[in-house]
Amino acid sequence: MFGWIVDLFRRRGRRHDDRIQSAFQTHFKNFRALLTANNNALEGMARAEAMLRSGRPFGMTFVRGELTALTVNVYKMIQSLTVLSEGRYRGLNDSFAAVTHRIEAILSRQPEVKGRVFTYSIDEIERSLINQVGGKMANLGEMRNLLGIRVPDGFAVTAAAAKHFMEVSHTQIEINRLLQTLDLDDLTALYSVSSEIQELIRATSFPDDLERAIRAQTHELIERQGKNDFKVALRSSALGEDSDVSSFAGQYRSRLRIGLDDILPVYRDILAGKYQSQAIVYHQQRGFRHQDVIMCVGCIVMVDAHVSGVVYTRPPADAGAGHLLIHAALGLGDQIVDGVAAYDMLEVEREPPHAICCRKEAQPGRGPCLAETQVRELAELSLRIEAHFGGPQDIEWAIDASGDLYILQARPLDTAPVPVTEAQAPAGAVDAQLLVEGGVTASQGVAVGPVFKVNCALDVLEFPKGAVLVVETPWPEWAVLISRAAGVISDTGQSATHLATVAREFGVPALFDGGDASARLENGQIVTLCADSRRVYAGRVEALLTRASTRRSLMVGSPIYGLLKEALIHVTPLHLTEPDSPFFKPANCRTLHDITRFCHEKALHEMFNFGRRHGARDKSAKQLYVADSPSQWWVVNLKDGYREGVDAAAQFIRIEDIVSEPMRVIWGGMTAIPWEGPPPISVRGLGAIIAQSAMNPQLDPAVRSNLGDRNYFLVSKKYCNLSVRLGYHFALAEANFSELLNESYVSFQFQGGAADERRRRRRVGLLAEMLKELGFRVDRKADALVARIEKRPIPYLHERLLALGYLIIHTRQVDMVMDEEGFIERFRAKIRADIRTIQENAARTAAEQLHAA
Amino acid sequence: MLPKNILLVDDESEFLETMARRLRRRSYEVKTALDCAAALAEVQAGWPDAVVLDVMLGDADGIECLCLVKRVAPRLPVIMLTGHASLQSSILGMEQGASNYCLKPIDIEDLIERIIIACKEAGD
Repeated sequence: MFGWIVDLFRRRGRRHDDRIQSAFQTHFKNFRALLTANNNALEGMARAEAMLRSGRPFGMTFVRGELTALTVNVYKMIQSLTVLSEGRYRGLNDSFAAVTHRIEAILSRQPEVKGRVFTYSIDEIERSLINQVGGKMANLGEMRNLLGIRVPDGFAVTAAAAKHFMEVSHTQIEINRLLQTLDLDDLTALYSVSSEIQELIRATSFPDDLERAIRAQTHELIERQGKNDFKVALRSSALGEDSDVSSFAGQYRSRLRIGLDDILPVYRDILAGKYQSQAIVYHQQRGFRHQDVIMCVGCIVMVDAHVSGVVYTRPPADAGAGHLLIHAALGLGDQIVDGVAAYDMLEVEREPPHAICCRKEAQPGRGPCLAETQVRELAELSLRIEAHFGGPQDIEWAIDASGDLYILQARPLDTAPVPVTEAQAPAGAVDAQLLVEGGVTASQGVAVGPVFKVNCALDVLEFPKGAVLVVETPWPEWAVLISRAAGVISDTGQSATHLATVAREFGVPALFDGGDASARLENGQIVTLCADSRRVYAGRVEALLTRASTRRSLMVGSPIYGLLKEALIHVTPLHLTEPDSPFFKPANCRTLHDITRFCHEKALHEMFNFGRRHGARDKSAKQLYVADSPSQWWVVNLKDGYREGVDAAAQFIRIEDIVSEPMRVIWGGMTAIPWEGPPPISVRGLGAIIAQSAMNPQLDPAVRSNLGDRNYFLVSKKYCNLSVRLGYHFALAEANFSELLNESYVSFQFQGGAADERRRRRRVGLLAEMLKELGFRVDRKADALVARIEKRPIPYLHERLLALGYLIIHTRQVDMVMDEEGFIERFRAKIRADIRTIQENAARTAAEQLHAA
Repeated sequence: MLPKNILLVDDESEFLETMARRLRRRSYEVKTALDCAAALAEVQAGWPDAVVLDVMLGDADGIECLCLVKRVAPRLPVIMLTGHASLQSSILGMEQGASNYCLKPIDIEDLIERIIIACKEAGD
């Protein structure tokens, strides 16, 4: 009878143990899933922040992709914590919903289209209508109506009209679908999608009301002209085009000499021009969503041009020079901006009487295109326009047979800094073989790369990133390659071409009018292009490369940049820093980062308390016993992390009883060299800590903070997760040693400190530097960093984890002295020497053990 | 468990064939379905180890299809893949039991890694 009862209790005890074991396995699984999602989320945040800082172009695919991945990971964390805590933190779902709604509202925001009017006569247009008719038409209207400048008659078709056209036809949905999945590195796909979209728009029928409005404007124009046999030009005037920030030069379509009967189909063709391949690439490079570019169209009467051209009120490649630059050609000026016409080039003084300081004639025997009086008139008018719009201008003009001067376009000119002359260039440049000399500096700078000649669209598809683009004529279509090219060399053209404007905008060095350069250069040959001195050298000329230009950041200030920046306000800031603070609760999670921080902290807490809560003594946290006294470190055994036979009921555990390989390694690093204690703090440093404490109540030492409770290892034989709160910073190290390379990693996160932000940043900077030296991939932002090594063999990870243990202990509290003279240099040297010593000692010990075995 | 049989569901046949070719080149067994009905037939037959499911299908909303798949095979990993995502739709997908939610265009290696992780999580 008695035996039966004992047996029953034993069976019940076993069932109880099995249940706990199974519950613990579920706990552990969720904990690991939470940590993985946490790492992914933090890395995603770091990537998004890094992209903002990098200045590299990115599109909505990146923004949506990263933010969706972040949302998914944070969702997974909440789910895991819900299981771990048995639903204790329900408020998290509300915070999560609120945060993601705020982000979605930003991402799906559409540009506002002002007004409901479809057309305006040019006589009604001033700059104030810029949001309805686009920059090009607004400027023309302003010059005609406010400055009394001769601008051809015409009308504008507005942004509201373009929006109406696309909405009524429902083509926008299909266009968005085609663009969303387009990989812009795949140029074949780019061309195919571009033509598919354009066909779609060309095949769209006109809404009746829009057709009526355009026909009415055309009729009024006929009445004003008093005839109906004239031709018009239809020109793109996109919203945002010709702004100070982006030129959009040559990206869109303009069609000249159009008969009045063809205005409607050509209007549609110009709308389609928004999706030309070079425009799609340009949008992406400049950070525009397609919906941010709304295509207004100008319809103006053609000037029967006798001579025409372009004026730069400052030379674009040399803004410091005090002269105007005039390009003039016989006939219509479109050939100048396309780079095909033979033209006269004049440098004209800005001061009256605007003397011509330099004249280069296209055909010297033929005589100049412009008489001196015309040059003077053009110079005066151009400077008036410059003064009115308040900055250097790029002006298109035409003079008709009766000698009347018309202005066809005025837009802000992107000017480059003062060039470096050859005389200033290092002497080394002279030694290299000179391949091409002469021409014009279309865009300043020095570039090196293999020559790649492009003659047709097929060549474009083969163009390798980083090559020097060599062409005979600088057609606007080649702009699709500008962001991939190291530099551009063209046989013809000058600084007024669209391609030159785009090259300047992207900071790509360009040499135009280089004679027979394309014949002299061989495909694949490495050349150094010095656009400033108008020379091309064979090979890589290091001496010149010291002056190589850095690419300009084209994203800052763009719509997509603004969107990501605004969205990240709800993602990356961390408001919940101190778990002991009463502020640390779900309702106070204002960002995705707050939620990850909350989930992580509470998940640790759940793992820590599992044993106590379930009456499972072997799963309870034990205090690490070091040098015969209890330490501030606690250990939770997840699975097989302790030596067999360890007393499950014991309150303490000794390091010798721990068989977790990663924990023993990191502990080795932490204890290899005794910490000398906090560095002596100067009065200034101490003042900063007091000031920080005053500003951040969560740092107030008077608030109870069980710092000692907060340092713990979660271990199994091949896994270790260490979270540390030493002083005011928070660090998390995790390591998994697996025979499968894919599953092996060491990761590290660090944030905070007690000193002011500048010093905290410096400490993180130093940590980042050391971790990079050790081979970690490091992302840092302000006073936080995330570092990771993965897919490496175990001995490699051993060495890094050892060093990481050392860094965790020895970089504490040094933020306070980061400002002191020479400290960083001394400290960096000490760290390097110490790590070397530790790694050498470890290697020696391993060798001795191997020998003994 | 490492996945071997992958079911791709998308109403764009060109995209489907490209993805299938890429996966087969990496030694996966691949079947394709252009709509939810065809996908469900494969799931009921117990063929796939993982499903990659477009959010927009001809005969059903991808999320509805996800629910149907999950009713038949609750532990089968399903990765949602979409061309036009909103954060709300990704949350909806996750709530209905998707293992992950990704945006097109996706790098094939990236997709495979996510499939493997989803299968590992489901097998744990």
